[in-house]
Amino acid sequence: MTRGSTALPAALATLAVSAALGAAVAELARIEVVLAEQRRAASVALAACDACAAEAVAALPVGWDFDPLLAGPDGRTGTADDGVLATPAGCTASAGVAPGPADPPRALLRLEARAGGGRRALEALVGRDPAPGIPALLWLGAAPGAAVSGTLALDGADADGAAASDSAGLGAPGDPDALDRWLAGEGARVVSSARTLPALHSPPPPLVALAERMRTAGARGAEALVPTGTPPPSLALVQSDLVVSDRLFGAGLLFVDGLLDIRGALDFTGVVVATGGVRVTGAGRLAIGGALWVGAPAAGGLLLDVAGSLALRQQSTAIAAADRLLALPRRPVLLGMRDLG
Amino acid sequence: MTRRRARGTSLVELLVGTALALVVLSALTAAVGTGARLLIACGARGEAEDTAQLALEALTFDVRRAGWDPAASGLVAVREADADRLVLAADLDGDGAVDDTSEETTAYVCLASASRLSRLVGRQSMPLADGVTGCGFRYLDREGAPMAIPAGGLAAADRARIGAVALDLVLLPNGLAGRAERSILIALRTAP
Repeated sequence: MTRGSTALPAALATLAVSAALGAAVAELARIEVVLAEQRRAASVALAACDACAAEAVAALPVGWDFDPLLAGPDGRTGTADDGVLATPAGCTASAGVAPGPADPPRALLRLEARAGGGRRALEALVGRDPAPGIPALLWLGAAPGAAVSGTLALDGADADGAAASDSAGLGAPGDPDALDRWLAGEGARVVSSARTLPALHSPPPPLVALAERMRTAGARGAEALVPTGTPPPSLALVQSDLVVSDRLFGAGLLFVDGLLDIRGALDFTGVVVATGGVRVTGAGRLAIGGALWVGAPAAGGLLLDVAGSLALRQQSTAIAAADRLLALPRRPVLLGMRDLG
Repeated sequence: MTRRRARGTSLVELLVGTALALVVLSALTAAVGTGARLLIACGARGEAEDTAQLALEALTFDVRRAGWDPAASGLVAVREADADRLVLAADLDGDGAVDDTSEETTAYVCLASASRLSRLVGRQSMPLADGVTGCGFRYLDREGAPMAIPAGGLAAADRARIGAVALDLVLLPNGLAGRAERSILIALRTAP
């Protein structure tokens, strides 16, 4: 009787303590699982916010300042579309005036992303890349509508020295992998040097605004191209198609507001812009130390039609010289970021 | 049977019963003790993992905002970069200056002597993790290449090339047999 009366309470007490301990362990495990889920949700949302910021910055137009962005699609400030940004699903973003001085041009982006059950918001300061243009030898205004039956040579190694940064071969709107596949698909007709970097995504160059700036700057015409020697860098604006039938040389910034049609030879050091495409006929040769920017023809033809020879080589000093003549547009870059929660 | 009950419990029965009871109680005590130790270990493990995670989250937060410069004053995001010390700067109030006594200057210090990782906010030191058996910073340049850290830390020109900061953290708190290990690589959000 005595033994039975003590054993049962002892067993029950032990059972109770064990149950309490088991429950505590289970509760600890549950808390850790909840914490892990919250961390995962926060990480997923943070990654989504980062991706949103990267896409928003990459989609910002190349230019000189952020006034068009801040004014919105209607081009007028003080309206509802000011600073509206296109973003992927699950992400919202808007642009506003950056605090601080107006120069250098900057904008403040506010982004919020919801993903994986979490929400994150951040602010991002964007500015303009110190380097003019984009780091690509050939900048196309649309995904490659190009035909190469001759040769296209791309050399991303800077002619000014091994220490300078290498350049990509091609920059255009669209998927860079698709651009690389196009280059590779051209086979032996496209020759890229070992130091030519893979293609990069870039919005189209702001050719209309650049032409307007050149007019304002009082650019010369096609006479800036000379038959012999290396002329000093200058601004040359040709407000129609330009046909090169002889051998010409030029330097600086050449803007052709139409088709650049090479039937002879053109050696240029600097930046060549053609809003209506570039055609190099079978006997033609175009060699540029710097960069070539090509806009889409109004009639929807090929941006680039190379039956002859087109050779592009990175030459940062030539681009810098053109930039000194007239400030070239620049890519948007992320200057800073801070999490808001 | 009736007669045996009437005789009461014999000494042998009592001893055998007591022995059995002791065995059962010992087993129960051992089970409770194991449960208690498991509970303590689970709590310590959870705390170690949480501590390591929180340390990395704090570093992530600070590295991401390093170089925040709304006033375009040209501040340097990484003020010191050594294997055991990292100092970050940000102009959080946008006044064009970095206040050394406020959250605008944040340092992370691996203290081997104290087995501790600390976060210094301005002049305030806050332990982020104790029981630290391994703690070190690494730096990658903007092309993603590892940067060699000389004695005394990276020079100013090299700090300007930093593209990402990595922290390797190992915790072994008292009472735990297994280590809690974390490594993280965080890119700076500032343009060159």
